[in-house]
Amino acid sequence: MTAIIEVEGLTKSYGSKRGITNVSFRVEEGEVFGFLGPNGAGKTTTIRLLMALLRADAGTARIAGLDCWQHSVEIKRLVGYLPGEPALDPGLTGGQILEYFGHLRGGVDQTYLKQLIKRLDLDPTRKFRQYSSGNKRKVVLIQAFMHRPRLLILDEPTNGLDPLNQQEFDRMVKEVRDEGRTVFLSSHILSEVEQTCTRAGIIREGQLVRVGGIAELKDIKRYEITITFANAVPAEAFKTLDGVAQVETLADGHTLRLTMQGEADAVIKAAAQHAVVTLTSHEPSLEDIFLRYYEGDGEALKEASHVVH
Amino acid sequence: MWFTSIFLKTLRDFRIAILGWGVGMGLVMFEVQATVGSLVSTPAARATLVSLAGSFAWNADPVAVDTVGGYATWKVGIFILLVAIWPLMACSRLLRGEEERGSLDVLLSLPRGRLRVALEKLAAVWTALLLMGLLIALITFAGGKSFNADYSLGDALLFGLNLVLICGVFGSIALLLSQFTQERGTAAGVTGGLLLVFIVLDMVHRVIPGTEWLSRLSPVYYYNLSKPLVPSYGTNPGALLVLLGLSVLLSGAALLLFVRRDVGATVALPSFLRLPERIVRPEQALPVNAWSLRSVYARSLAKIAFPTFWWTLGIAGFAAWMVVVVKQIEGQLKTLAASSSFLRDLITKVGGGDVNFNANLLSALFFLLPLLLMAFAVTQANRWAADEEEGRQELVLATPQPRLTVLLARFGALTTATVIIGVLTLAATALASAASGLALDGGNLAAATLSIIPLGLLMAALGYLFSGWLRTAVDTGLLSFLLVIWFFISFVGPGLNWPDTTLRLSAFYYYGTPLLHGLPLGDTLGVLAVAVAALVLASARFVRKDIGR
Repeated sequence: MTAIIEVEGLTKSYGSKRGITNVSFRVEEGEVFGFLGPNGAGKTTTIRLLMALLRADAGTARIAGLDCWQHSVEIKRLVGYLPGEPALDPGLTGGQILEYFGHLRGGVDQTYLKQLIKRLDLDPTRKFRQYSSGNKRKVVLIQAFMHRPRLLILDEPTNGLDPLNQQEFDRMVKEVRDEGRTVFLSSHILSEVEQTCTRAGIIREGQLVRVGGIAELKDIKRYEITITFANAVPAEAFKTLDGVAQVETLADGHTLRLTMQGEADAVIKAAAQHAVVTLTSHEPSLEDIFLRYYEGDGEALKEASHVVH
Repeated sequence: MWFTSIFLKTLRDFRIAILGWGVGMGLVMFEVQATVGSLVSTPAARATLVSLAGSFAWNADPVAVDTVGGYATWKVGIFILLVAIWPLMACSRLLRGEEERGSLDVLLSLPRGRLRVALEKLAAVWTALLLMGLLIALITFAGGKSFNADYSLGDALLFGLNLVLICGVFGSIALLLSQFTQERGTAAGVTGGLLLVFIVLDMVHRVIPGTEWLSRLSPVYYYNLSKPLVPSYGTNPGALLVLLGLSVLLSGAALLLFVRRDVGATVALPSFLRLPERIVRPEQALPVNAWSLRSVYARSLAKIAFPTFWWTLGIAGFAAWMVVVVKQIEGQLKTLAASSSFLRDLITKVGGGDVNFNANLLSALFFLLPLLLMAFAVTQANRWAADEEEGRQELVLATPQPRLTVLLARFGALTTATVIIGVLTLAATALASAASGLALDGGNLAAATLSIIPLGLLMAALGYLFSGWLRTAVDTGLLSFLLVIWFFISFVGPGLNWPDTTLRLSAFYYYGTPLLHGLPLGDTLGVLAVAVAALVLASARFVRKDIGR
């Protein structure tokens, strides 16, 4: 496989404010690469550097072997881009916007464009200002896909999309991958990346802390189970069970919050020995994971040494 | 303290405007009063000034123009109404601007009623206007004291109040119109157009006898009924009340509509006023096949078309109207000039140039044309900067369009609009000249109308250049400041006998008096060269800079 994106020592700061520092990674042609990180971690900065909207302070970024800054026009012929916060002329209709960008790209296949509009169930007759945030996202998404680019760079593409359209988006990404094209998408939702991507990188506070296959990253995925019992149950009964990383007793003494990593079988069996009132499970946000998993114990530095180039 | 209420936060946002407009306009008043002494140094000079002022009645009623207060009132005439630009911008932004940004949703989620939120914001505008008026009044009074004016502090304060009230009317119009428009820019643009229309309406009765009934339709008429700096004329309380009543009525209607409509939507017009809706089935929506979507240049031209139409109407209409005004006073001025050799010198100080009746007087009036075109260029430079700051350039620059192409296409569209305004102004004045029978040199008329184009381009290029480093608000503020300073130098400089080197600091200097002396080719090319240099620097910066929000 050949690398379509090669980033080496990429650094960007905004005056005294941090942007990204010494970020390096490669994305192979044909893969779907997820770029994970909490808000403000540097995902958008990296993407805007790839799109030559920002100029790097140091390091290099190449797409298809071309320097992103020096050959930005050639690169943009290959790329479909979806910005994190799309801003477009509010007075134009969705159809007018798509036609305008089609012209700026030298023309697009109208049949394919109409297919995309239909698949995402977009009404192109409405003005951009009249669209809901989800429909605005659809316009920009179609704009990114409509010229069948060799590389798609998508900044938090599913923000605002309803579950049905998220599924349609997943199918579109799979089709792109099946055609041998590449997708680079950023997200702060771990499950989304897990579902869509083949590989992922994790960025935190401007530094890439990990890059690897999705299976390799599973070990950072944690979730929480909150069990409310009819009577008070000692936390010790759960602390040593398989898959339990941490147990907290909440104020009334009847509720335990368990931080899990791995299977929940042992916890469910142990809970069944008591009278359970409610049991809820939820996946913590990536930010929670970062806060709990990386902060304070030097783990971040340790993880950084595992970066796979 | 400034973040403890909506009122204080809004007032804080206005702090620079209060100081800028208050001190700026105050200084204009101060300097205008400084010129009076030299104009009334002898009884003959005084008599001529009084006679001449009658010929410039289009600008303001010539009342006691041989006094410091009277001269200042007459000289600043319609120019002082430039200050009304601030309230019309502020009020169009007050609610609609926040809705466009989406920040009003957050503000209205607070446990405060809509009316309360709107009232606090409106109160901040009025407080800002009163503070501006106070600054203008105090600096005017200081000028009056320095040059032995016969008006009191109370008179100066009433002058400030009169100004505040007319500003309040235009702010209220903008606030009301913004309830019907999707964008604040549209409300501001239409109110700006109305400002010009009302100025001309008020002017009509001073130029064409028997048309006072028409002028009464203009709020500016009621503003001009009070001349507090002329103690013998005084203030008309009824006129002040009319202005206040108009403001209350218009603002009240705006607030009433605001509390009843959907946030983010406009007031629904009755069906007979609505444009017929064009129904397009989604499957037929593409291709659109519109010329305006074929390139960045075409799109930029389409975006600028609507404001260009209104500015053309304003600038060309104003120029044509000036021709009619000159025709009306032609005979009177000729008689005057024949009787006084002093007049030649005086006209030079009031308007610039030698005596060549029609052309000379028009030349003084045409001084406004480059100012208006440059103001248009400021608004368009603002849009360029805002588009980048608000992220609207990001997707365009993500297509295979070189940055330089994007910038030049946009500037090219602005150049096209500027040329259209210049050419249509020439056509309108030529038509007005032919229709009214006013004899003008065709070549000089072409020079006077077309040589405003380089000045507009200069302003735009500077705006593009500054936007390479500055945020939109600062860029626009700096450009506006530059425009006001240049205007100030050219407006009061000749009267104060400022040295040529100082006058050359103003871009207006290089416009010259083309209606009298033809195209100042060297100066025009010089302005163009500076504009091109600024554009080259702006391009060099734009192709290297971070595209940011």
